[in-house]
Amino acid sequence: MFLTDRTLFAVAVVFYGLSALYSIFIFRRGFRDDNWSNYLLLAAAFAFHTLAVFKRGFSLSRCPIHNLYEATTFVAWTIVAAYLAIGIWSRLRFLGAFAAPILFGIGVFALMPSLDPPHGDKPAFTGGWISLHAALVLLSYGAFGLASVAALMYLNQDRNLKFDKRRAALSLVPPIQRLESVIGRLLAGGFVLLTLGLLVGAFALRLPSGAAYWNDPKVLWSAAVWVMYLLLLVLRWGWSHRGRRFALSALGGFAFVLLTFWGTNLLSSIHNPAVDRPAASEPSPPAGTF
Amino acid sequence: MSILVLGLNHRTAPVALRERFAFAEARVPTALQALRDSGAADEAVILSTCNRVEIYAATTREPRQACGVLIDFLIGAQNYRDPLAGEIYQLAEPQSVEHLFKVACGLDSMVLGETEILGQLKSAYDVALQHHHTGPRLNKAFQRAFNVAKQIRTETRIQRGSASVPSVAVEMAERIFSELDHRQVMVIGAGEMSEKAARALLSRGARSVLVSNRSYDRAHALAEELGGRAVHFEEWAREFAQIDIVISSTSAPHYVLDRARLEPLMRLRRNRPLLLIDIAVPRDIDPEVNLLENVYLYNIDDLQALADDSLKQRKEEIARCEALIRERARELLETRRPEGMPELPQPALKRD
Repeated sequence: MFLTDRTLFAVAVVFYGLSALYSIFIFRRGFRDDNWSNYLLLAAAFAFHTLAVFKRGFSLSRCPIHNLYEATTFVAWTIVAAYLAIGIWSRLRFLGAFAAPILFGIGVFALMPSLDPPHGDKPAFTGGWISLHAALVLLSYGAFGLASVAALMYLNQDRNLKFDKRRAALSLVPPIQRLESVIGRLLAGGFVLLTLGLLVGAFALRLPSGAAYWNDPKVLWSAAVWVMYLLLLVLRWGWSHRGRRFALSALGGFAFVLLTFWGTNLLSSIHNPAVDRPAASEPSPPAGTF
Repeated sequence: MSILVLGLNHRTAPVALRERFAFAEARVPTALQALRDSGAADEAVILSTCNRVEIYAATTREPRQACGVLIDFLIGAQNYRDPLAGEIYQLAEPQSVEHLFKVACGLDSMVLGETEILGQLKSAYDVALQHHHTGPRLNKAFQRAFNVAKQIRTETRIQRGSASVPSVAVEMAERIFSELDHRQVMVIGAGEMSEKAARALLSRGARSVLVSNRSYDRAHALAEELGGRAVHFEEWAREFAQIDIVISSTSAPHYVLDRARLEPLMRLRRNRPLLLIDIAVPRDIDPEVNLLENVYLYNIDDLQALADDSLKQRKEEIARCEALIRERARELLETRRPEGMPELPQPALKRD
């Protein structure tokens, strides 16, 4: 097939862009019409996105999550997949209007050429445990991403219920209490995935010689993210950290992940073996990624 | 055989006249029997609600002549002797079928687009059906009417939103709470509107109502009526931990609830969402409380504006609904047995 996986992904990003544009229309209409247009646009994007992910995966014969481009597209892919499942329920379908701009942004970012250096003959990382570690962690980011999309929807409707009552009455957005529980469940699900992913990273993978967990920026960052989400969940269930504050925290948490993920990744020697030694010269594959 | 409609409603007759023509529920089967015995109709349904009294009839007679007999029957059945000045309308096909569809869809109702009438129409039809006073003609027309009502509900906005203050209150509650099933309602100040709003919330599943009023006796009476519990006026704040929805309508000249008083109460409630409905004038609740997190305040103007909005939107949908109804009525009349074909036997009809 003459289309490369990056071209397929670019087509998906175009559809995310179209969906983001259509979302402006949905916003302006005040979430009044229950229609499938945006859902179908995102489904089309998902189809191309899936092809791109699978094509890359088959060409490398492994789960394609071993450089920043692959990791970023994988996070976006999990967000869309989860949205398409949740969006079957009519009122939560509007989540697409909040997800599309985020997906479009992530997509454009992922397409930057420097994030996707050629792998050469031998991929930088191999091995089932590494794939499992990376997949679990990235799935958790997908769940946190979708939680922040639901949080945006919550904040929008919360504001309308207080200050733009007409808009709130006419919209078909779900009750905000339900949105809040959707955010809570997504965060809890994401937290479980993140915990499992980090456990796999810590116990099933071998550290490259000379590296240590305690001084690796990415490992410390992951631990901070884990503690942050743990605190958020404990505050919600133990100290009634609810409503707008909870939604803002979910949104802020994901913004933090999104803004610092790439930086700490590049600084980490464990996750970035090219920083201090050529990957091909390592006899056994180094541990861990993302 | 053609379908005729004859009757009077809230548009053509005042309540004083409508009540004189109304059929008590228990009398309807006898009236239907008498109607068919009179030869005015082969099939008949009588719809009698507080806003309309109508006879739907299918007859082989010439429509004008049949209408004359039907009017005589209606007047005779109620023993009405005063003069009439056009309060009773008579409709022949296709207007009669269109009218039936409009009634089913709430287009002919006092509150445009209301759905209660559909239930009333269904039970009127059931009574006629059970007593074998309908036949293929009316059966088909009524089934089609119920079907059109469903179509109108899903395809147009005629039933979107709520058109009265109590129902808007319920609608806003449904936009805040996942479900109303376990919501505790508190009524502060027992007035007519707050009672209506409380009833509307209860009918949608709210758990129970606490009533607090300056006069404890009045609170007790209303609480008993609503199946709830009365609370002394000085003590209503103590119950706040378990309250989700407050309907306030006291005649106090100052705010009963303000920010300083509500803030500690919200902590008691562990920041669960709180819906405050203030239908008192002057207002009972300081508008400032709306700035508190998880508190949603609606005053009478907010609710009235939302109700007016829905009504306006419903009115904009009338033309669409009418076009759809005309189309469906035409379909029904076109599929009718062609003239000249032998009439099918109707064993279901009771002829005695």
